[in-house]
Amino acid sequence: MTNQRGAIELAGLTKSYDGQTNVVQGVNLKIPNGAYCCFLGPSGCGKTTILRMIAGHEDPSDGEILIGGDNVVGLAPAERGTAMMFQSYALFPHLSVRDNIAFALRVRGQGKAERYRVADAMIEKVRLTELRDRLPGQLSGGQQQRVALARAAVTEPRVLLLDEPLSALDEQLRIQMRSELRRMQRELGVTFVHVTHSQLEAIALADMVVVMEKGRIKQAGPARDVYAAPRDRYVAEFLGGQNVFSGRVGAVEGDVIRLDSAELKSVIVPLGAAHVAAGDRIDVAVRRDDINLHRPGAPLAAGASSLASRVMGVEYQGNFVKVMLDAVAGDEFVVYVPERAFFEDPLSVGDVVMAAWAAERSRLLA
Amino acid sequence: MSAAPDALSPAKTGARRRALAPSKGRRPWTFYVLAAIFTFYVVALYGPMFCIYVLSFQDLRGGLVFPMKGLSLHWFVDLFTQARTGDVAGAFDRSIKLAILVTVITVVVSLMSALAFRRRFPGDTIVFALMIGSLVAPGLVLGIGVGLMFNALGLPTTWWGSALGAQLSWTLPFGVLVMFAVMSRFDSAWEEAARDLGASRWQTLRLVIVPVLAPGLVAVALFGFTLSYDEFARTLQTAGPQNTLPLEIWSMTLNVTSPALYALGTVTTIISFLIIGASLGAIVWIQKRRGRRASST
Amino acid sequence: MRLNKSVVSWLYILPLVLVLVPFFVAPMLVVLVASVFNTDGFGGLIPTFTLDNYIGVLTSGLTFKLYFETIRFTALVWVFTLILGFLVAYFLVFHVRNQLLAIGLFLLCTVPFWTSNIIRMISWIPLLGKEGLINSALLKLGLIHEPLTFLLYSSFAVVVAYVHQLTIFMVVPIFNSMARIDKRVVEAAVDAGASRLDVMRLIVIPLSKSGVALGSIFVVAIVMGDFFVTKVMSGGGSASVVGAFYEDIGVLQYPTAAASAVILTAMLMLSVALILRTVDIRREITQ
Repeated sequence: MTNQRGAIELAGLTKSYDGQTNVVQGVNLKIPNGAYCCFLGPSGCGKTTILRMIAGHEDPSDGEILIGGDNVVGLAPAERGTAMMFQSYALFPHLSVRDNIAFALRVRGQGKAERYRVADAMIEKVRLTELRDRLPGQLSGGQQQRVALARAAVTEPRVLLLDEPLSALDEQLRIQMRSELRRMQRELGVTFVHVTHSQLEAIALADMVVVMEKGRIKQAGPARDVYAAPRDRYVAEFLGGQNVFSGRVGAVEGDVIRLDSAELKSVIVPLGAAHVAAGDRIDVAVRRDDINLHRPGAPLAAGASSLASRVMGVEYQGNFVKVMLDAVAGDEFVVYVPERAFFEDPLSVGDVVMAAWAAERSRLLA
Repeated sequence: MSAAPDALSPAKTGARRRALAPSKGRRPWTFYVLAAIFTFYVVALYGPMFCIYVLSFQDLRGGLVFPMKGLSLHWFVDLFTQARTGDVAGAFDRSIKLAILVTVITVVVSLMSALAFRRRFPGDTIVFALMIGSLVAPGLVLGIGVGLMFNALGLPTTWWGSALGAQLSWTLPFGVLVMFAVMSRFDSAWEEAARDLGASRWQTLRLVIVPVLAPGLVAVALFGFTLSYDEFARTLQTAGPQNTLPLEIWSMTLNVTSPALYALGTVTTIISFLIIGASLGAIVWIQKRRGRRASST
Repeated sequence: MRLNKSVVSWLYILPLVLVLVPFFVAPMLVVLVASVFNTDGFGGLIPTFTLDNYIGVLTSGLTFKLYFETIRFTALVWVFTLILGFLVAYFLVFHVRNQLLAIGLFLLCTVPFWTSNIIRMISWIPLLGKEGLINSALLKLGLIHEPLTFLLYSSFAVVVAYVHQLTIFMVVPIFNSMARIDKRVVEAAVDAGASRLDVMRLIVIPLSKSGVALGSIFVVAIVMGDFFVTKVMSGGGSASVVGAFYEDIGVLQYPTAAASAVILTAMLMLSVALILRTVDIRREITQ
């Protein structure tokens, strides 16, 4: 039997502030012990509320929260074995780094020598030893973030909750602190629940990504699954990297769908396990880096899907080139061309091209 | 410094000159007008007070107006020895004790109330309205109400009982309003963080809220002390047989026509300044101590 | 165990309520009750219900004279403190470039607030008196040949003393709301072509409204509720509503005094409520 003390289970979790509208609506989720889980969604989708309910700073209107198998609803924050790292950190401005980190031990009645010994060990772990007597106001954003992490971790929680921990940092520091968070999670070996609105952050960090919209979970699973196989248009568009377009089913031929509009007639979509009939409107996704661009008249692989279109814009991104096409009316259509391939035959705005991809790369969305 | 590029651009300089608050370049004519008004205000604020401080140091021949006649401490001695001026020393003593009592209660209750008012709770608008009402109620009317009420209940009016309550009905609303301003810089995430780390309500208050707000609490204390030390209208009918200092001054303005009155003014002002100095010193000391503790490795 | 949030809030607010109920609500009720009682003429109250006291107060010509005087002083003091306070705050916030200097000058304005009001009032006597500094200076300069008598123990002296005491109540809240105006808003308005008058009219004044309201409440409440300055500085020439009230108390006419007090308090609360309607003070100060 593995140790399950940091496993979290949310069952029918609901929160309403005014008794009418639900900020969180019946959320069910299992987060395994020791996982790095990211809640991803736009602001106002309920992700922070869920985090605060797990922490005990809000009470759910309905539903249960189980940590390590015990229902923690109604317990005080400190009784749950969770620790929270606040957005903008909430470091105590009047206490030094060392006293901030030792705070939890102090309120538990530990003596000065004992708590400083434990705090100093934690300070070492986050590499702040030479700054331990500074006040929070004298630290940089990245250093403050490390203090906040250490302060939360010193209580040896089974679950660490992080509310937009990287949002106060600038771009470069964000990427650096991202790997630091991951390193700390491995070292501490506890469950991390991290709330963010950045898909890059979620994909880079998480074992498990939970995409939310309007208080509900749209999709939850390993980062790669959610990114490569989004379930619906919302998830595909929020995670990015996909072209999504809709069309009407012309015919279902065995295990593939043909679309019926003139512009999409050469697009073939694998049916998978879905049930559709001729005339249904469907959403289709294709990864932007799965598409190749060809000059008109160049031979296409047999059975490939293709779209004729014109180049609307070209943006150099460094390791690839972003080419915007007018392939599908009403939907954005972008192709990521590897830099080297692009500059072998550079395209310019107005050029007519064929966008083609292997038919099995198309995904039918729910 | 960004002064150089700004000065080089003629368009920008033009805009700056028209700006209300030019941060550089020539000052507009309104600056000089307003500076003159400000100077006039400060002179009018301090000038008369300095006059009486100076006049209180004349000798026996001196009167209530200039010119100064000699230089002595005669009127200060007169103030504390002459029976006709009443029990000045006793009034000082009572006023300071009362002010300390009011200060302590005002700081504690204002802090608690300001903490409560951060959230909405049933009845909060009523309490808030009562507080504003208490702040603006005519002091003498309220004082007489308290006096009549004590009479009706058969209780004696005393400076440490009825007058204390009457003064609190004025210092507390003031203190809460100042506390609101102080609290606007308090991030409630600090409180949540403390709770999250296992602090009890009391520990959160003692280890986080009070230390973070300490300079603001000193300011509230200064308000409480001064408002009480100088309170007159509410105390007049509630102090009972023993006068507080403002009541003593009031009866002197009606009866005493010697510079002893000015001497009293000088003495109370010295006390006020000592209190202000101590408060500012305390604020600076709190900030300094934080800085020092932080930098000592 | 965790307490209900409302219960916790009430525990925190309870001490304030425990002061306000016995020392504000109850005394005001006592005054209200006394205003419908009869007096035995020796300071005793006879429990009845009579409106005679109100009729007496409202039909007396003296009452209207008193109210007229009080309202006149209130209006004059309000106008002068508002103009002076606004200009001082405006100068400190928008014209003093060095922020440390601005705060220093601001503190300079507030220091006298911490000293005795009565002393500050009587400090005008050696200046404004018949043989005071101003008169002697004017005589010496030959500008006048007889001392000016309107300077002291006059309405002029009353207004001077009030403005001296109360301008600080305008300066502080207006300074606070002006200091919160984002300077970039002003710059944006100037970039959009606003004149200095436009900026004042469309930005500075609307955004200092809450400070003006708060300051006005203090000034109006203090002047209407005071009698001391009027009594001393007018030399008995002017009376005020509260002054008459105090005289009534002196001759043990409690019911008449109470009726007058109820009318005054009602007027005062009405003025404050009107000012509060223009701005949500609680939101303004807590944010």
